[in-house]
Amino acid sequence: MRPYISAFRMSLSEQVTYRFGFFFARLRGLFVLVTLFFVWSAVSMKTGFFAGYSREELMTYVFGAHILRSLVFGSQSRRIASEIHDGTFSLFLVRPVNHFLFYYARELSERLLLGFFAVLEVGIIVVFFDSTFLFPSHLSVFFFVFLSVFLSHMLYYCMSYGMSMLAFWSREAMGPRFLFEWILEFLSGAFFPVSIVATNVALVFLFFALPFIYLVFMPLTIYLERVPGNQLFLSFVWQGMWIAIVAGLLRALWRRGLRAYTGEGI
Amino acid sequence: MKYVRVWVQLVHCAFSSYASNRIDAGSYFLGKLIRFGFFWLFFISLFHYTDSFAGYTKWETLLFFVTFNLVDVLGQALFRGIYLFRNDIRKGNFDCILVKPLNSLFYILSRLTDILDILFLAPLGVALWYVVIHLPPLPAASFFLYALFLFVGLVIVLGIHILSAALTIWSMESEGMIWFYRDATAIGRFPPEIFSKPIQFVFTFCLPIIVMVAFPVKMMLGALPLFWAMMGCIIALVFLIGALVSWRVSVRRYSSASS
Repeated sequence: MRPYISAFRMSLSEQVTYRFGFFFARLRGLFVLVTLFFVWSAVSMKTGFFAGYSREELMTYVFGAHILRSLVFGSQSRRIASEIHDGTFSLFLVRPVNHFLFYYARELSERLLLGFFAVLEVGIIVVFFDSTFLFPSHLSVFFFVFLSVFLSHMLYYCMSYGMSMLAFWSREAMGPRFLFEWILEFLSGAFFPVSIVATNVALVFLFFALPFIYLVFMPLTIYLERVPGNQLFLSFVWQGMWIAIVAGLLRALWRRGLRAYTGEGI
Repeated sequence: MKYVRVWVQLVHCAFSSYASNRIDAGSYFLGKLIRFGFFWLFFISLFHYTDSFAGYTKWETLLFFVTFNLVDVLGQALFRGIYLFRNDIRKGNFDCILVKPLNSLFYILSRLTDILDILFLAPLGVALWYVVIHLPPLPAASFFLYALFLFVGLVIVLGIHILSAALTIWSMESEGMIWFYRDATAIGRFPPEIFSKPIQFVFTFCLPIIVMVAFPVKMMLGALPLFWAMMGCIIALVFLIGALVSWRVSVRRYSSASS
C-alpha cells in the first residue's frame, strides 16, 4: 500500500504547488457553473417549472453536476499517453507497483481535492445568489448516491485509462481523447439533465444505451429521488456491468499494448 | 507585404503539421463538430418546452450561439500561437523571437494557425445562413453592421490574446489566463439578458465578451441603440490600447532569466 499512499500524497502536493494556475482553473469551473445557473434560472423563471423539473430541482442538478464533474472526471490518466510516447513508461515496468493502481492513487487525490473545492464553490454560489440546494427526504438516499458516485468514478477512470492506452499504437492519442471527452461531457448529462434533450427515439437510444449517463445523470437522478425503487437496483446492475465490460477491454488492451510497446524515446 | 508573406509561410508550416497527424487532426475536427452539434441540439430541445428564451425566439437565440462560435473560431484560427508562448518564456526562447526582424507580438500570436478552425468556418457559415433564412427579412445594412461588429469583436479577441501574452511574461503560470478567457466566453453562447446586471456590467466593460458576441447579433436584429453601438467601438479600442500598453510594460520587464 505504501507506494500508492506516496503517489496519493505527491499528487496532492503537486496540485497545490502551482497556486495561480489552480486558482484560475477553479475560476474557470465557476464560470461554467454560474452560466448554467443563469440559463436554468431564465428558462424556469416564468412558471417555476421546466421540462418536468421544478426550478429547485434544476438548480440542485446544476450544483450537483458541478460537484460530480470534479469528483468523477479526472485528468491524471492523460499523462499515461505522453509517458508511453517519451519512453518514461518503461520505468513503471521495472517498478514493483501496479500501474493501474498507481495512477488511480494520483487520480483519487486530485478528485478529492477538487471535489472539496467544488462543494465550497457551490456553497458560495448558493449563498451569493440566494438559491436552493435540495436535500433528499430519506437518509438512505445518501447511501445510494454515494454508491452510484463511487461506481461512476470507477467507470470514468477505466474509460479514461483505456483512452490513454491508444498511445501504445499511435502517437496521435490526444485528438481521439478530445473527441471522447466532448462526447462524454454531453452524453453524461454534465451540462443538463439528458432527459430534457432526449426528445425522440433516436436520442433516447443515443443517451440511454451508452454508459455515459451513469457518470453524472444517474447519480443526480437518484439524489433527486426520481428513480423508482425497482429501477434503482437495475441502475446499479447496469453501472456494474459497464465497469466489468470496460475493465475486460482494459485488460485485453494492456496485454496487447505491452506487446506493441517499444520503449521508444528512452 | 512582408508580414503577409511570413503569415502565408507560417500557415504552410501549420498545414504540413496537421497533414502529418491525420488521426489527431480528424478527431479534433470531429470533436469540434460534435461539440457544435450537441449545443445546437440543446438549444433546439429548450424550445420544445418554451417559445422564448430571455425574450428571444429560437432562431434569434441560435444566432447568438452561431455568432459566439464564429468569433471564437476566428480568434482560435488566427491567434493560436499564444498557446506556445509560455514554453518560450520558460525555456528562454523568447530571446530568439525578440531578435527576429519582425514584430515579436505578430510572431507570437500568428506563428500557429489553426487550420482545423479555418476549415470549421465552412460548417459555421452554413449554420449562419440556415439561421438567418429563418429570421424575419432583414435589410442589407443589417448584414453590413453585423460584419462590422464582428470585426470589433475580433479587435477585443486580439486585445485579450495580447493581454494574456503580457501576463505570461509576468507570471509563467498565467497560461491559465487564456483558458480562463476561453471558459468565460461560454457566457457568449447565450443572450446576455439572462444574466444579472452586475454580471452584464463586468462582461461589457471589464472582459467585454458581451460586446464581442451580443453586439453583432443585436446590430443585425436592429436591437442595439446607437449609444451602445458607439460605446462598443470605444470599449474595443480602449481594451486594445490597454493590452498593448501592458505588453510594452511586460517586455521591458522581461529579464531573459531562463536563457
